[in-house]
Amino acid sequence: MIVGEQKPISEIREIIAPYRRVLVLGCGTCVKTCFAGGEDETAVMASALRLSLKKDGLAGDIREWTVERQCEDEFIQEAARPAAECDAILSLACGAGVQMVARRFPDKPVLPGVNTTFIGVLEERGLFTEECAGCGQCKLALFGAVCPIARCAKKLLNGPCGGSRDGRCEVNPDTACAWHLIIERLTALGQLDNLRAYVPPTDWRTSLSGGPRKLIREDHRI
Amino acid sequence: MKYHISVFYCVNSFDASMLDRLPFKDRVVFKPVKMACSSMVKDVYLLRAFEADADAVVVLVCPEGHCRYVEGNLRAAKRIDWLRRLLDEIGIGGVRLVLCHASSGRANAAGACFESMLTMLEAEGFSPARSRCGAGAASDQRRNGKPQR
Amino acid sequence: MRTPFASKLAALLAQGNFVVTAECGPPRGSDAAAVIQKGRLLKDVVDAVNVTDNQTAIVRMSSIAACRHLLELGLEPVMQMVTRDRNRIALQSDILGAYSMGIRNILCLSGDHQSFGSQPDAMNVFDIDSMNLVHAVRRMRDNGTDMSGFALKDSPRMFIGAAANPFADPFEYRVIRLAKKIDAGVDFIQTQCVYNVERFRRWMQMARDEGLLEDVHILAGITPLKSGGMARYMAAKVAGMDVPEGLIRRMEGVDKKAAPAEGVAIALETIAELREMEGLSGIHIMAIEWEAIVGDIVRAAGLTPRPTAALNRPAAGE
Repeated sequence: MIVGEQKPISEIREIIAPYRRVLVLGCGTCVKTCFAGGEDETAVMASALRLSLKKDGLAGDIREWTVERQCEDEFIQEAARPAAECDAILSLACGAGVQMVARRFPDKPVLPGVNTTFIGVLEERGLFTEECAGCGQCKLALFGAVCPIARCAKKLLNGPCGGSRDGRCEVNPDTACAWHLIIERLTALGQLDNLRAYVPPTDWRTSLSGGPRKLIREDHRI
Repeated sequence: MKYHISVFYCVNSFDASMLDRLPFKDRVVFKPVKMACSSMVKDVYLLRAFEADADAVVVLVCPEGHCRYVEGNLRAAKRIDWLRRLLDEIGIGGVRLVLCHASSGRANAAGACFESMLTMLEAEGFSPARSRCGAGAASDQRRNGKPQR
Repeated sequence: MRTPFASKLAALLAQGNFVVTAECGPPRGSDAAAVIQKGRLLKDVVDAVNVTDNQTAIVRMSSIAACRHLLELGLEPVMQMVTRDRNRIALQSDILGAYSMGIRNILCLSGDHQSFGSQPDAMNVFDIDSMNLVHAVRRMRDNGTDMSGFALKDSPRMFIGAAANPFADPFEYRVIRLAKKIDAGVDFIQTQCVYNVERFRRWMQMARDEGLLEDVHILAGITPLKSGGMARYMAAKVAGMDVPEGLIRRMEGVDKKAAPAEGVAIALETIAELREMEGLSGIHIMAIEWEAIVGDIVRAAGLTPRPTAALNRPAAGE
C-alpha cells in the first residue's frame, strides 16, 4: 500500500488559513490502512481543526466527506456537491489523490493534509515499512525477494557496505541491513552462490529518474 | 461558571448515579455518555465533546485484565495517549483528557479520578476552545450532508 | 591484458616490494597549503597516499584536486572515489580528468551515507555501486571504452583498488565477496584496520586456499590507537571492527600521556607480525589527523628508506 502521515495541525492551519469554508476530504483505500486519511481520521481531523480554530477565536467552517478512492474519477465525483459548497478542499489522500481531485474540481484550491512517503507493507500491527522503490525493472529474483534498491540506503547491488553492523544499517540501527537479509534468505534457500554473479549497473530509465511514467493499456481503452 | 466534564463510561465499569453524590457536584456540569464498551469509544467523539464546550473528558474503562472485549482497555490507553498529544498540538491541553480504570465494585477509583480532574481544572482553567458567546454558537457543523443532531 | 606500468604503486607491487601506503584527508576549505603540509610529512616514508573523497560525507576539497597538489609535490596519490555523490557520467568524467593530470591509482568505494555528514539534507546518488565502478575503470583500461561502449581517445589506465573488511560478513559470504571483487577487476585491496592479527591471518588463509591471492595484492590496514577511549569506541561503535579486549586493557592500563606511545607500540608489533604473513603485499596506515606519526611508525618499523620503482611511465600527454 501507499503509506503517508498526516501533516501537523499547525502546518495545516497555515495551509488552510486563506479559506473560510474548507472540506476535509478523506480516502477509503491506502491512507485508511495507514491511519492517515480514512473516514475515522477525516472525522478526527475536521474536529481537531474546528477545535483549533475555536481556540483561536476564529470563524471557520470545516466540513468532512470521504470517498472510496481519490485516484479514480468515478469515486471522486461522489464528493461533487460538498466540494461545490466549499472554498477549498483539504485532501487527506496520497499525493496522487490530491492531484486527481484538483483535476476534477479545477476551480477549487486543493490542498494536501498528508505527507505521502512510501510503498510498503504492514509488517506488524502499527508498523509500516518501505519495500518498493518503483524502479520499473524488478530484480527481486536475484536477491531472494529482498529489494536492495528500496531497502539498502545505498542501493548496492553487489554486496553490503562496510557499515553494516550486527545485521543493522549504518544509517539507522532500527533498520535491518537489506544485504544481511538477502544473505540470510539465500542461505536458507541454499542459493548463496547466486551472489557470485556480478550485477551490472541499473538502467534508471524506467524509474522516476527517466521522467514521470505512464502506463497505457490499449486493451482497456474504448 | 461551572466546569463541564464529559464522562464516557460503560455499565461494566461505572454506575452513573455516583456523579450526583460527588461532594463538588455543584461546581461541575457532568455530561455522562453511556456506551456498550467505553474502550471502543471513537476518537472523534472525544474531540467533539471538546467542541461542545467540555473543559475535560473522562473515559472510564474496566480495570486491566477485566475488559469484556479482552484488549479493549489496552487499546483505549494507546488511543487516548495519542489524542492527548493531538490536544497538546492544538493548544487545548492533553491533560484535559483522562483515562480512568474503574470497577462498579470499587467506586473509590472513579471518585479519586474525578477529584484529581477537578484539581487539574482549577490549575488549567476552562478550555481555551470554550465558546466566547455561549455553547453552540461557534459554527454550523454538517457531516456528510446531514445537519448535526 | 595489462599495459606497461603507469602507476608507481603497481610497479612496486609487481617488483615484489612490501609496500607502505597512508591516508590524507583534504581540508574543509580551498587552502592547498594544508594538503601540501600533510604531503610533506608523508613524502619519502610511504609509497603512495590515499586521498579521501568527502569522507564521512563532510564537504571537503575534492579528492581529484588534492591528488593534483600531492602529485606536484612528488608524491604518488591514490584517488579515492565514492559513488555516493556522483552519477556514472560525472564519475567517468572525473576519471578521465584525473588521469590527464597524472593520477594513476584509484580506490573505488560506495561511501559513508550522507546522514553522517555536513549535509544530511542532500539527495544521494548511488547511481552505481563500488563494484560497478571497479568494472567500469577496468573496462576503460583494458577495452579502451567507457560505460556506454564508446571508444575513448586516450583511455585512462588506472591501477584499481577496493576496500575489504576481513572482520565483517557471515563467514561463508566472505569468499564470494572477495572473489567477485577480483573478477570485477580489482588489482589491490586495502583492508579495515587490523588489531586481531589471528583473525586476519585466518581470512588471508581462506583467500589463499581459494587461489585468490594470485590475482590481487592485499594491504593490511593499520590505525595506531591514541587512547583507551579510542580503543573502546572503535570496538563498540565502529562497524566491522575487531579490537581484542586485551589491547583495550593495555591502552587503558597506561597513563593518558603515555597512551599514544603505547598505541604506536601495538601498531609496530602488529606490523612486525604482518611482515611475516604469507601472501601479504603491504600495509596501509590510516592515521587521520595524526599524519605526523606515520613517518615515526615507518621508520621505527625499519621500513625506510622506501624503494624506487622501475617505471614504464608513458610520456606526458599519452
